[in-house]
Amino acid sequence: MSSNQMISTAADRVHSLSDSIAQGLEVGQRYVALLNQLTETKDPAELLDATEKLEGLSLANAFVKFPQHYQLADYYLLLMARMLELNGENSLEIEENEIHHQLLAKISPMEDQERFTFEIDPHNGGAFFAEQHHHEPLFYLNLKHQILKFSNRALVDFFIVRQTQKFSDLDLQAVVSPMIKFALLLEKQLNFVIDLGILETGNGARFRLQKPDLPLTIIDRLFVKTTDTDYMLLNLPQNNGAELRLDQNVRLQLAFDPDDYAQEWSFRVLDKEERVSFFDVLLHYPLVREWYLDNREFLAVRTDAMIFANNADQDYVGETLTMTTPDQPTQSAEQTAENLENQTEVEKED
Amino acid sequence: MASVEQTNGALDISQAINKQIAAKIKYLQELETAVEHHDDCKVYQLLDNQRYAAEIEHREQQPNEQGVMNLVDDLADQLSNFLSANLIQYLGKAYPFFYYEEYKTGHYRIYFGNWWDRRRFGELDVLNIRFAFDQEEYQKLARAFELSKQNKRYNSDRIEQISSENDRLQKLIDSRLEREQKRAALQEQLKDASSRSGLFESNKNREARQVIVEQISKLEDEEQESRTAADTIKENERVVLDLSKENTILSYEQKSIIDTFGTFEDFELANRNLYASYLNSLGGKKAGVSADEQ
Repeated sequence: MSSNQMISTAADRVHSLSDSIAQGLEVGQRYVALLNQLTETKDPAELLDATEKLEGLSLANAFVKFPQHYQLADYYLLLMARMLELNGENSLEIEENEIHHQLLAKISPMEDQERFTFEIDPHNGGAFFAEQHHHEPLFYLNLKHQILKFSNRALVDFFIVRQTQKFSDLDLQAVVSPMIKFALLLEKQLNFVIDLGILETGNGARFRLQKPDLPLTIIDRLFVKTTDTDYMLLNLPQNNGAELRLDQNVRLQLAFDPDDYAQEWSFRVLDKEERVSFFDVLLHYPLVREWYLDNREFLAVRTDAMIFANNADQDYVGETLTMTTPDQPTQSAEQTAENLENQTEVEKED
Repeated sequence: MASVEQTNGALDISQAINKQIAAKIKYLQELETAVEHHDDCKVYQLLDNQRYAAEIEHREQQPNEQGVMNLVDDLADQLSNFLSANLIQYLGKAYPFFYYEEYKTGHYRIYFGNWWDRRRFGELDVLNIRFAFDQEEYQKLARAFELSKQNKRYNSDRIEQISSENDRLQKLIDSRLEREQKRAALQEQLKDASSRSGLFESNKNREARQVIVEQISKLEDEEQESRTAADTIKENERVVLDLSKENTILSYEQKSIIDTFGTFEDFELANRNLYASYLNSLGGKKAGVSADEQ
């Protein structure tokens, strides 16, 4: 009896082991299938589906050990690269780091200087697309909530502050271009909600300043800078701000809504063909760039928060702010609190 | 006889009165018709026949009849308002950089430009078709044009002077530590020299002591100044910004005049000829013909 029992117990155990291995193998098979889907499908919806499923898939199994495998961030990057590739955009190229087997993107013509990859946000889910020197989170991507949002602060810090000395404006536009294209593809093909921030070229886009009060001497300084240039700084007809006349009918306004008691200042770029963004203006015109950076304390534009239903509770507030940091180098705790308040207001208004 | 004379006199006078009244009525009727047809040229002729004859018809010595002209003196503001519409439209093309504000009926302030900061530049005298520029502002512009021939700006000398003053003040702030060390060393020397003073102090020692005391006092003055230097620098920077702004405004004004007229002299010439240029643009010749017919 007892030996019989022992045998049956042992058989059970072997069986349960084989079950476990089978489960592990099954996971492995699913993993392989998803990887194939991610690298082979031509359908954007299937691409997204594969990435999301890979995000939810755990390869941890006590009995079946898989060799090194890619991280979640790598799948995000593959998703981006494949979306671009399928739509004929080849300026972003992926290479694998031989030691960590991490996937990194290089973007022409910055391929010798910078690497980009996604960095997972452990609190809100989703990931930041960041360059790898200073880890500037250029945009935030969340597949579950289907949103993509650029960070104005990171765009200015990375491109305008650090790169304008090294690259021409055309080169830098070429680098940011696949990022914009990716965002637009997500919007068009997968119905994502996107926010291009200061990359938006539509004439209706307004970028509100982080600080509520703008001393007019800041605008005076721009006025003085235009002496002996081909550009003129005009007063708006309703005395609600200034307009800088740049080339080819490009106009940069810094103004507030004259009918709004709050007098919230915002930047706006107007051009006939709606092809120029505030970012482009900062890149292209040293006059505006120098003035903006010299007075960034006052001129920083804010990145409005995307507040998700699931992190309305206090614990997440700090994390939400990763995307709401003001577009300026330093910030105090006070400003952050104020910032958050503003953003809640913004949400209400919108 | 006396009564006949009186009668004759009364007759002459009543004739004279009738003649005067007829002239007045004719004048007012002509004005009424001109206003009705918005014949601005005719209105201008009626308002100042002497000038009109000289500048538009080139007939000299046509006197103004004061008796009829002052009939509309109390309508000056309304007439100015009435005539401003066409005049300002014309000026909008001829002087695209001037902007007008009617601050009370028939009275127009001139603003130079629509730029971020601009100057009030005087008034537009509609009835006389001329700019009554604010002389102080006008002289600044004239001076700016002159200075630009030497590649200088209106306020560049003052800006330079204040900037070098700020450099000096900044150095005072930066040299605080150095000054303190120097002062400590001098005080040590003074103590030394003082120990050798007394009733039989040598002249040389006394002089040396005096020099040290003076040096210390100079350092103290500098220290005193350095304490308020930061505030002074800030205030100076504000002044420099204002002066730079004025330079910018003047440079925009110069650019506008050059774009439209080529030179400042041509701008001044155009101002002098404005009456004729404007009325000719309204078809002054046609009005001139009708004036001859009278």
